[in-house]
Amino acid sequence: MKNFNLTKYSKPLILLVFIIVLTILRPSTFLTVSNFANVLWSISVIGIMVCGTIFVFLIGGIDLSIATLCGFCAVVTVKTITYFHNSTGGVFAGILAALAVGAAAGCLHGIVITRFHIPAFLVTFATQSIFLGLSMIVTSNKIISCTEPAAFTAIGAKKILGFPLPIYLMILIAALAWYVLRKTEFGRYIYAVGGNATAAEISGINVRRSTVLCYVFSGLTTALGGVILASMTQQAMASTGSGYTNDVITAGVIGGVSLLGGEGTVLGAMFGAVLMGLLNNGLNLMSVPSTHAGLVKGLVIIIAVGFDALQHTDQARKKVKKIVKKEA
Amino acid sequence: MKKKLLAFVLAAMLLVACSGCTIQKTVRVDPAGGNTAAAGEAVGGVSNKVKKDPYTADEIKIAYVAHDIGTPNNQAWLEGIKRECASWSNIKIGEFDGQSSAETQVRLMGDIINQGYDAIIIQCSDGTALAQSVAQAEEAGIPVITLNLDADTVHSALVMAVDYDAGRMAADKMAEQLGGKGKIGIIQGVPGLHRTDNLEQGFRETIANYPDIEIVDAQSASFEKEKAMTVMNSFLQSHSDLAGVFCINDAMAEGAALAADSKGLGGKLCIWGADGEKDALAMIENGQMSGTIYTNSWDEGSTAAKIALLMIGSEYSYNVLTETPQVIMEPIVATKETVGSIAAEDRW
Repeated sequence: MKNFNLTKYSKPLILLVFIIVLTILRPSTFLTVSNFANVLWSISVIGIMVCGTIFVFLIGGIDLSIATLCGFCAVVTVKTITYFHNSTGGVFAGILAALAVGAAAGCLHGIVITRFHIPAFLVTFATQSIFLGLSMIVTSNKIISCTEPAAFTAIGAKKILGFPLPIYLMILIAALAWYVLRKTEFGRYIYAVGGNATAAEISGINVRRSTVLCYVFSGLTTALGGVILASMTQQAMASTGSGYTNDVITAGVIGGVSLLGGEGTVLGAMFGAVLMGLLNNGLNLMSVPSTHAGLVKGLVIIIAVGFDALQHTDQARKKVKKIVKKEA
Repeated sequence: MKKKLLAFVLAAMLLVACSGCTIQKTVRVDPAGGNTAAAGEAVGGVSNKVKKDPYTADEIKIAYVAHDIGTPNNQAWLEGIKRECASWSNIKIGEFDGQSSAETQVRLMGDIINQGYDAIIIQCSDGTALAQSVAQAEEAGIPVITLNLDADTVHSALVMAVDYDAGRMAADKMAEQLGGKGKIGIIQGVPGLHRTDNLEQGFRETIANYPDIEIVDAQSASFEKEKAMTVMNSFLQSHSDLAGVFCINDAMAEGAALAADSKGLGGKLCIWGADGEKDALAMIENGQMSGTIYTNSWDEGSTAAKIALLMIGSEYSYNVLTETPQVIMEPIVATKETVGSIAAEDRW
């Protein structure tokens, strides 16, 4: 008991407190399988996108083009499907086309950032306009509906064991990202580059290649998010995905991912996404009017993140004390 | 100390009194940014217009300033304006996107006035914020026609779809479909917009006439289809006996219908929207949605363009107006029974 480390469990503890509070407030509606399916479904796109974007955060970069790239990939998917006369083969072509666009966009980001030494903020700030412009041109700024074929609409709505497919996709992507970051050499390189790029370069890590790959991962998960979003709403337009840049960055930061690089985990980022989902769900179930929702949301996030940060600070302080004691 | 307190209270009272002088529709805003005046008082009586003939070789430029050019409504208006002017090659249409921001629209209005456009058609993101820009345009001899969302100053014309009445009609029809009883929810847009606030008010005040219908929940989905799906899921979670939902626009009604479908409740709930987008009409036809209040937005845009051309071709000036003239578009209650009467070429 003496060695009980609250820091390690602070995030699950916060989620547990949330669940207990909401269960007390809404006993009959909150703690049900269907409601948890609702919560996870509502954060599935954010969850998938943050699993790729975390690679960019970890090397100290940023991707501001997530929202508009997501929209453009949604447009590409739907346009390709309609080009193939809404056939099942068209769905596969649409998904592949979107993933190719996402990977190409990530590759472009990575190359421009590393070759021309332009800050990621500026590059992705510029490309967000480019992707939005492309979506507007391709769609003529109109909504492109796509209610067929069933293989397409199933991506966002098909249920397996009571849970919609996007939830399984989110768990799969999260597991993949976790594996790459924790169990592979490449994962360790990323933390090293984010911690100190010069030192990583000197120690023989190919920083340029690692950076490009991180942006490619971000592009791929963003593209997958776009495909799912298009399937969920059965349509695509230039504004599809708007607001997702903020949501993804917020989920990451709440989960303890440092925007300066080198710090953060996939589990932490998923915690951020789930916390946001629970918060929105709780506000909806308690019928909090939209005029009050923003205030309540902001306060709860500050309290939750403050508690988590406090545990980490305490832990760091204890470590310092221990070292000082030893030295003495 | 007491004197300071008294001075503070007096200053606060003065501030409150001044802020009470909000600009009304029948108020003319001073384009130079000075005091406002009642419309009737400031009438000069002399036209500031340079008459042009839009149907000959005179070069005519009409600016269309959208609230958000990506929305179906804004696109349909633009299409209507273009169709109206398509036969005359001397008429050019300039498209400007307000990006849902009144500040952007104010900046665009300044540019448009400087470029010497002949008329402006605009959906004001914020009537108060745009009042001065609209007044400046009118003062420069550029007639301004607003669409749905008005400017708080006297100007050439307002072309609008019904708002309060649309809510009233939806409530009456929904009550009829529900047999006068049941629990319902409302999915709202962004609070504070004149049109949608009126729509919701019309709905709430009318539904209050049916004592056995109870509004059990109201949540915002910011006019977005995807967010409406999440809100609808939580409605269904909280109220297992929910009988229907009224959505302030069609995109949200479509989202609510998809959420109901995914819960196996497709076609079993009474889901209403307002606008009349073609996707919503298709959903009504296949039973996923129960109804919407349809307005022909192509016709609305075309009407605004007709008024603009009339203004350009005459010496008629806003100086003679005491209040903004209005054209109200005919609303159609679209249900499964009536939706077939809306022709394919009228679906936007």
